[in-house]
Amino acid sequence: MKRSVTPFVITAAVLAFFYLPIVVLVVNSFNASRFGGEWNGFTLQWYRKLLASPDIWHALGNTFTIAVLATVGSTVLGTTAAFALDRYRSRLQDAHYLLVYAPLVIPEILLGISLLLFFVALGVELSYVTIVLAHVTFCVSYVAMVVLGRLQDFDWSLVEAAQDLGASPWVAARDVVLPLLAPGIAAGALLAFTLSVDDFVITFFTAGPGTTTLPLRIYSMIKHGSPPLINALSTLLLALTTTTVWLSQRLLKEAR
Amino acid sequence: MSDFIQFENVSRQYGSVLAVNDVSLGIGKGEFFSLLGPSGCGKTTLLRMLAGFERPDSGRVLLDGVDITELPPERRKVNTIFQNYALFPHLSVRRNIAFGPTVAKRPRREVDEEVDKMLALIQMRDHADKRVDQISGGQKQRVAIARALINKPAVLLLDEPLAALDLKLRQRMLIELDMVHDQVGITFVFVTHDQGEAMSLADRVAVMNHGRIEQLGRPVEIYEAPQTSFVAAFIGDSNFFEGVVAEVTDVEHVLLRIDGFDDLRAFNDKGLHEGDRVFLSVRPEKIRISREQPLGGPDHNTTRAVVDDVIYLGTHTRFWLRAGEYRIAVEQQHNRFVLDEQPIRWKDEVWLQWHVDDGFMLERYAESDEALMAIPPQRVGESNAGLEDGGRG
Amino acid sequence: MAETRGLLERRHEPWITLPSFLWLVVLFTIPAAIVFAIAFKPSDPFGGIGAGWTLHTLASLGDPNYPAILWRTVWLSVVTTVACLVLATPTAYYMARVAQRWRPLLVLAIIVPFWTSFLVRIFAWKVVLHPEGPLKHALAALHLVPADGSLLYHSGAVLLVLVYTELPFAILPLYAAAEKFDFRLLEAARDLGAGPFRAFWIVFLPGIRRGLLTATLVTLIPALGSYVVPDLVGGPTSEMLGNKIAQRTFSDRNLPHASALSALLALAVLVPSVLAITLSRRGDRSAQVKP
Repeated sequence: MKRSVTPFVITAAVLAFFYLPIVVLVVNSFNASRFGGEWNGFTLQWYRKLLASPDIWHALGNTFTIAVLATVGSTVLGTTAAFALDRYRSRLQDAHYLLVYAPLVIPEILLGISLLLFFVALGVELSYVTIVLAHVTFCVSYVAMVVLGRLQDFDWSLVEAAQDLGASPWVAARDVVLPLLAPGIAAGALLAFTLSVDDFVITFFTAGPGTTTLPLRIYSMIKHGSPPLINALSTLLLALTTTTVWLSQRLLKEAR
Repeated sequence: MSDFIQFENVSRQYGSVLAVNDVSLGIGKGEFFSLLGPSGCGKTTLLRMLAGFERPDSGRVLLDGVDITELPPERRKVNTIFQNYALFPHLSVRRNIAFGPTVAKRPRREVDEEVDKMLALIQMRDHADKRVDQISGGQKQRVAIARALINKPAVLLLDEPLAALDLKLRQRMLIELDMVHDQVGITFVFVTHDQGEAMSLADRVAVMNHGRIEQLGRPVEIYEAPQTSFVAAFIGDSNFFEGVVAEVTDVEHVLLRIDGFDDLRAFNDKGLHEGDRVFLSVRPEKIRISREQPLGGPDHNTTRAVVDDVIYLGTHTRFWLRAGEYRIAVEQQHNRFVLDEQPIRWKDEVWLQWHVDDGFMLERYAESDEALMAIPPQRVGESNAGLEDGGRG
Repeated sequence: MAETRGLLERRHEPWITLPSFLWLVVLFTIPAAIVFAIAFKPSDPFGGIGAGWTLHTLASLGDPNYPAILWRTVWLSVVTTVACLVLATPTAYYMARVAQRWRPLLVLAIIVPFWTSFLVRIFAWKVVLHPEGPLKHALAALHLVPADGSLLYHSGAVLLVLVYTELPFAILPLYAAAEKFDFRLLEAARDLGAGPFRAFWIVFLPGIRRGLLTATLVTLIPALGSYVVPDLVGGPTSEMLGNKIAQRTFSDRNLPHASALSALLALAVLVPSVLAITLSRRGDRSAQVKP
C-alpha cells in the first residue's frame, strides 16, 4: 500500500517552523550586527558582555536557589501524592486527584493572580519565600503525574515478595520500591526543576519589588534591553535545555 | 487434629463479596496440597492468608500448632512462588536468591556459599550475574524456587506458578516441581485453576467455589466420585439428567425416572428416598457407544440415541448425541487402529450403555456456576455451544 | 489491594494523602476562592482591597471595552487551537508510522522546543519578525510587505507565536495516542474500499479521539490565559484578557477589578473543560477500571 507523503511534508514543515527562529537566534548571538538583519562577522562579544554583567549572575543565583527549594518540596509532596493516588480508591482520593489535576489545566495567570491575592489578603509580604511557595504548588502536580505514570507499571507483588522473604515494610521500601522508582522520581524532580527555572508568569505575580529571577530579568531585557545579549543568554539556555532533556530521556529509558 | 497447617473457620470479605466463607482445612506435614477452583473462588485469598498478606476477618490460621494469624509475612517460616515470580528486576539472579538471607543479616560468606549451592542445584551457575529480564520463563521459575527455598521454609506456597508458561514448558516444569518436592520434603501448597496441574501433582486436592471447599480428597476420589455437580462439571466433563427417585430398589441402588428415558438405575451413596428430585451425572468416557444393541443386564443402563455430531480428536472421538430432550457427550478412546472400521456417522441411530455405578446423583448446580463448567449442563435447543466447542483440549 | 497487609495499608492512607492534600487546599483551593470573593470587594485608593461588599466591580465588566477583548481572546485561542490540531495530527501520524529507529530522534526534536524557555521562544520570533530582522528584509525585497510595514504588534503576530508556543503541547498527546493506534485498522479500511483520506478521517481520527481531546484542552486553555505572548509581540489592538488582568494588577493596582476579570477568565476556561470531561466520560465509561 502506497503511503501519502502529506504527513511527511507537514512534519518537515513543523520541524522547520520549530527550529528556524531558534537557528536565527543562535546564529545572531555570534553576529557582530546589533539587530541581526545582516551578517557583520563572527563575534563573542555578546557572551563576554553577558557574562560580565553582575545582574545576570545575581538573577541566576536566585533562580537556582528557588528551583532547588521548589524541587525538593514538590518532589516530596508529589511523590507521596502519587503513592496515595495509586494505592487507594476512596472518596478522599477522588478529591485528591481533582486537587492534583486542576493546577495542570488552569492557565498560569490564574494561578499567579490567585496566589498574589491570597498573599495580599493574608498581609504576607511578597518575597523569595512567596515565589518558592508558588513554585512548589504548581510543580507538585507535575511530579505527581510523572511518578503516578511510573507507579502504574510498578508491580506491587515485588513488595510482597520482599516481605515474604523476610524484609520488614521499611526494608522493602528501601531495597525494592525506592531503587525501582528512583528514575521516575528523578524524572519528576528534573521536570519540576526545569519548570521552576523557566517560570515567568507565576513568578511575576508572586515576586516582591526588587526580587529578580532569570526569567524576570530576560523579560525586562526583552522589553527594554539589548537584543544581542538576550540572543547569547538564550543560546546558553538552549544548550542547558538540550542537555537536560537528553539526561531525562536517559533516566526514563533506564526506568523502563 | 495434628495437622501441620490448620485453617479454623476463616472468613474474608471484600466489600459485599465473601471471598472465603468459613473455611476449615488441615494440611499434613510434607504433603503436596492443591487448592483448585475457578478465578474468584477464594483459593488465592486462602493462600495469601497463609503467607500473611491478608488478615482473615474471623477465624485462625495455625502453623505447626502455633497461631500465626496476626504474624506479619516477614516473620513466617513460609515462602511463596508468585504467579509472575515477582523477581526483583533491579537485582541479578544471584542477588535475587540472596535476598532472604541478606535481609536476615546472615554473614556475607555464609550467604555466598549457600547461594552458590542453590545456583548449582538449579543449574544456573552460568547465569548468576544476569539480570532477571535476560533469562527465560523456565529459568525464572527456577530462580523463584531457589530464592524461596534458600530460606528453608516450613511451607512453600505456589500461586499459579505455571500460568505464565507455554504448554511444553509447563509440562516440563510440572515434573521439576514434583522432583523438588520429593527432594526437599517440605509442605507444598499449590494454587491453580488448572485441574490437570492439580490432579497430576497433588497428594490431595481441595476444590473451591464461592469461597467454600466443595470437596476435599485425593485426585482419583475427586474425579471418580464427585460430591457436587459443580465438582463433577469443573473437573472433567459430565452429562447431567434431571429426574425423580422412582423406587429404592436395594441398599445401594435406586431407580430414576427421567423424561424421555426408560427408568435408569443409579448408585445411591447419598441415601435418597422415593420422590427426591436429583441430578444424575455420567462422565462422557464412561458411556459406551455401539451400532448394535449391547447385552443388557441389571448392572447396566442402556438407551437409544441419535448422533448429532462426530469430532475426531486423534486419541479419541467425541460424539454429541440426542436422546429424549437431552444432548449427551460421549467419548470413545481409540485403543485399536480405527481406519478400517465402519465409522459411526451423523444421524446414525445408536445404543448407549453405562454401568449403573458410574452414574452419580448430585444436587442441582447453581445457575451462576454454569459459566465455570467445562460443558454446561444442557438440553436440546438450549444452546449449541457444545457443538462448536469440539471437546476439551 | 488496599486491604492487604504490608507497605501501604488502609490505615496509612491519611498520612500519605494529607501533605499534598493540605498544601493544595491552602495554596490552590483557598486562593481560587479568594479570587471570586475579592471580585465583590471595592478597591481602596492605595492599591489594596477596600472594606465591605459591592457589586460595582462586577458591573464595571459591562464596559464596552471588555466584550471586545473577551471576543478577541476567544477567537485567537480557538484559531490557535485549530491551527495546532491541523498541524499536529499529521505530524503525530507520521511520527507513529515512521521506522522505529527514527522515533526517539523525532520525539526529542519535539521535546526540545517543549522544554525550551518560554520567553526565549517568544523572543526568537521577535528577532525573526523584527523590523530590521531577516524575515522582514526578505519579504520586503520580494515586495510582499511594504518597506515601512511591521510584522510585529498586531493580532497576526500574536496568532503566529501562540501557535508556535502551543504546538509541541498539541503534538505530544496526539503522538502518545497515535503510537497506541493499531494501524492495521487503516489497512482494513482500505481493504474495505475506503480511500486513504477517508480512512484517515473515519478510522484514524476516531481512534485517537482521546489524544485529540487532550491536545485541544492543553492548547486551548493556556491560549485563553495567554499574557506574555500578546504582551511581547502584540500591540494595543491585540490585547487579550490576560493583558488586562496584569494591567489592572500592576499598572492600575485595582485588585478587585483584576479579580473580576480573572473570574471571567476562569469561567471561560471552565466551559471547555467541563465539556471535554463530559465528552470523554461518554467516550469510554468502561475504560476507567484499573486492572
